[in-house]
Amino acid sequence: MASPEGLSLDQARLAEVSTSFVAAPPSGARQSQKEATRKRVIDAARELFDRQGYQGTTIREIARQAGISVGSVFTTFASKGEILSQIMEDRLDGLYGELDQVVPNLRGSTADRLRSIFAIHFSFEARRTRLFLAHIAAAYDWTLSSAARPMGRNQKLVGIIRDCIVKGIAENDVDPNLDPQLAVDLLRAAYVWIYRMAALDGADAEAMTEVMDRQIGLIASGFQRR
Amino acid sequence: MMHISQIQTSDETSARAPTRRALAKQQTRSKVLAAARRLFSEQGYEGATIRDIAAAAGMSTGAVFANFTDKSDLFQEIMLTDMIALGEAMRQAASHGVTAQDSLLKLFVAGYRFYQAQLPLARAAFSVGWSPQDGPLLRGSLPVQTLVGLISDQLVRGAQSGELKADDQQVLRTQMLFDAYLANYDQAIFQDWTLEALQERSREQIAILLAGIRKS
Repeated sequence: MASPEGLSLDQARLAEVSTSFVAAPPSGARQSQKEATRKRVIDAARELFDRQGYQGTTIREIARQAGISVGSVFTTFASKGEILSQIMEDRLDGLYGELDQVVPNLRGSTADRLRSIFAIHFSFEARRTRLFLAHIAAAYDWTLSSAARPMGRNQKLVGIIRDCIVKGIAENDVDPNLDPQLAVDLLRAAYVWIYRMAALDGADAEAMTEVMDRQIGLIASGFQRR
Repeated sequence: MMHISQIQTSDETSARAPTRRALAKQQTRSKVLAAARRLFSEQGYEGATIRDIAAAAGMSTGAVFANFTDKSDLFQEIMLTDMIALGEAMRQAASHGVTAQDSLLKLFVAGYRFYQAQLPLARAAFSVGWSPQDGPLLRGSLPVQTLVGLISDQLVRGAQSGELKADDQQVLRTQMLFDAYLANYDQAIFQDWTLEALQERSREQIAILLAGIRKS
């Protein structure tokens, strides 16, 4: 946080409050202040969601943990669901970086390439399965904006899977009459089931991958070129 | 929404002749359930509070809590009542299928038809179904397991009639069919898919999921 030199944090805050009465601060400063608040909210919420779950955490607790007022939380996020969405989205950057590197180099059948993609996904996500479930639940919640749709609606992942299927068709491995979206939907349905398994039965990434491998095999037997 | 009131009246019927007091309690319960059903549909599971539900039913929150332990209990009761009726509708529909594949499709469509007039409630059910706390309760409940069992029954039937091969992955295949059935609600809820569109998509999904065990 950018604070004027020689001032303690409280003094800096006081200074900011008083200047806001006098004149609008440069918009850059306001912007970075807002960014800082956002970051504090996200850090606090991530820790609380992890410790006591999404439903068990209130906005008031997030505010207390972040050391700001409830009102300030709402200046940066419209709802608890939106905070969760942002946390989930932030985490995915690392995953997508990894997938972007690995996917172009995958070899083997379409089914095997799909297996690798999901295995990478699960090894990345396995640690936060309960949060993932809460995120899906929140998507059906009235309080979450429609822009913040998680799960397989996640365009990046859907795109990677779709590309894999389309490539399979081009390489004569997949039935050319297959609507790629159909395969994407089935894989997505299978994929979310795995999370439930992990969250409820404590399955680790290896167990998740093993079941997904079988599910992909079952789906692939329906779209392979024969 | 005619089937909703049908469900509620069937809920009220009791085998034994009830005492006046039991009858009054039963009436209170169905009043609360009707109000809760409406508010969950209008405001979602998170949005509807016990206080709102009590007000809508014209009673105190204390009276609601005398009949239900909490909001989750209230919602589960509504869901389970629906699931029992849904299971019956699916069983009926499946019995009219010519082949196992056809029965599965009819079973799926019976489900979409059942919820067509109450998609907001289905949406609330998904919200609860995915919650780490209440989800396992709903999914593990007998009525939901009965739905899964109905899908499995069609696979067994197909194997017996010679339409399908013996399946060494029957549990997995059943689960995947059920998950495909559930996943299509996304299109119904968020993209306003018609019954016909849902049926067409289900037909293709079932064909893919059965391809590995279909004969010839």
